[in-house]
Amino acid sequence: MSDPSSGAAAALRRTLASWLSAPEADSRRASLPTVMLFLAPALLVYAALTAYPVLRTFYNSFFNVADLASSEFVGWTHYAEVFKDKTFWAAVRNTAIWSVIGPVLDVVAGLLLALCLYAGVPFSRFLRVAWFTPVLLSYVVVGIMWVWIYNYDWGVVNGLLRAVGLQAWSQAWLGDPRFALGSLIVTHAWKWAGFNMVVCLAALHSLPSEVLEAAELDNCGWWHKLTDVIVPMLWPTLLNLYILAFIGKMKVFDLVWIMTEGGPVWSTETVSTYVYKRAFNWNTFDLGYPSAIAVVWFFVVVGFVVFFNVLFRRRERMEY
Amino acid sequence: MTSASPALKPPFAADHRDSLSTTLSRMLRNGGLMAAVVLYTLYAALPFLWIGTMSVRTTAEISANHFAWPETFHWEKFRIAWVDSNFAQYFWNSTIVVVSAVAIVTLLGAAAAHCLARYNFRGNRLVYFILFSSIVFPPQIILISLFQVLVEYDLYNSRLGLMIVYVSLQLPLTVYLLEGFFARIPQDLFDAAKMDGYSDFEIFWRIVLPVGMPAIATTIILNFIQLWNEFLFAVVLLSDQGARTLPIGIRAYMGDYFQDIGMIATGMMIAVIPVVVLYAFFSEKLIQGMTAGAVK
Repeated sequence: MSDPSSGAAAALRRTLASWLSAPEADSRRASLPTVMLFLAPALLVYAALTAYPVLRTFYNSFFNVADLASSEFVGWTHYAEVFKDKTFWAAVRNTAIWSVIGPVLDVVAGLLLALCLYAGVPFSRFLRVAWFTPVLLSYVVVGIMWVWIYNYDWGVVNGLLRAVGLQAWSQAWLGDPRFALGSLIVTHAWKWAGFNMVVCLAALHSLPSEVLEAAELDNCGWWHKLTDVIVPMLWPTLLNLYILAFIGKMKVFDLVWIMTEGGPVWSTETVSTYVYKRAFNWNTFDLGYPSAIAVVWFFVVVGFVVFFNVLFRRRERMEY
Repeated sequence: MTSASPALKPPFAADHRDSLSTTLSRMLRNGGLMAAVVLYTLYAALPFLWIGTMSVRTTAEISANHFAWPETFHWEKFRIAWVDSNFAQYFWNSTIVVVSAVAIVTLLGAAAAHCLARYNFRGNRLVYFILFSSIVFPPQIILISLFQVLVEYDLYNSRLGLMIVYVSLQLPLTVYLLEGFFARIPQDLFDAAKMDGYSDFEIFWRIVLPVGMPAIATTIILNFIQLWNEFLFAVVLLSDQGARTLPIGIRAYMGDYFQDIGMIATGMMIAVIPVVVLYAFFSEKLIQGMTAGAVK
């Protein structure tokens, strides 16, 4: 990027410099070399390890990549196959259920916990820290822990059910296709409730206290106070948390892979685990087909993000 | 979930009609609230405590009674896991990969964030948008081809390869958080520094980094926790036992010694201890870091 010697390069440099620098003269103006000094390393990493891999995945999706040295062009075949793939649709269904229901659990639990702390229960500082702890644990630790909690013979869940005389309800929670997905969703909510709690608490503390006091004077019951005052006022925060969790759940992999590997009979398969399985864990090694799934899912996730942004565009986002 | 719902009652109890019934119902509601709080605390904390007790009990003891308090604390299990079961190797792999990735991503991210926050140049917002947008990408879109790239450049199965992938994974969020913070540093500070003859790089090194330290510390903690716990990229990009990070090591150990739950619990504790130690010292900062970007 430093001084080029030839005339053509100098002209190019001038053009680039004029294109890349702001028209008005102020102290925030910077020359191209200065900008690149700061920006180049990050852009280089981005280009090599994000942009290029994304493009290469698109490229791969039109090939059979059976071994890394050679590949065979197959056009849109993989995409046609994806839409006929029953396992893929099972994975989409599970991921959709998880993405829609999971965030409700997370956000509602987080809001309730935040309300407890806001109401001033004793030891609230300690509780805030204690309830947040699961957020910090890795999915491997959380997953193994909950595999044991759900264990049929000696797991805590079945142990409690037997202790209160509900033996009939004890299940192989992760072994039964009817319960496996729900069990994973509960575990995921266990991990993330503390996160939503902290965000809700921050939002609660930023509410004007007069509104709550007015509701108090109006003899407003706790339920109405919650549904008519608190939830509407926190709505932007709750919505934000929901969208954040929704997008996170579209990508869910770790917990599923550790707890069930997508089983039993695809009842907990998510799109992420299916792509991983087809790419690295299937007996037919082909990177092309899973790339096609990844591309399809990429557009689904990005589509949802764009949709949410258009739907709930906020003023501060438009200040570009 | 259900255990937390009674918690709704007390905060907003306001019934002025009958003082006796108010008092009674308030006590009841407070009792309900306290019960909910206690139940949720048990629900959140007991699994962890359970793993803690298992980590110092032998598998035979655990099989006899899964929920007993340890009679004798078998601390030697930590030595066995550390030395004989390769957890020392996994621990140092994790440490080397994560610490260097966090250091590099902090520097690169801060430089880029400073540039985007401070300088007017055409394409500024475009670059910002490009860097930031990859936050929402599902990981699979780069996972498979990163595997190919690392194999081609002989970085597959190496800590160096995983480290640079980790740098790229955390770069968008780091730039996003730091840009927002750096943009709020007053311009006067920079103009004064310029008048004092500081170069652009000196301004970054001697003003932005020190002034931005609170935000930088937050991103360091956030990146550390996320990478320390990272599983998907590590499982794809490492297969060699010598290169495994802690999450992969524990997961592999669970696969190989499925019956030895006592030792698996010990390994889990080894992975959790650095996070707990960090948490003990910086709980506020950690919570801030993990929720940064979500709290407005």
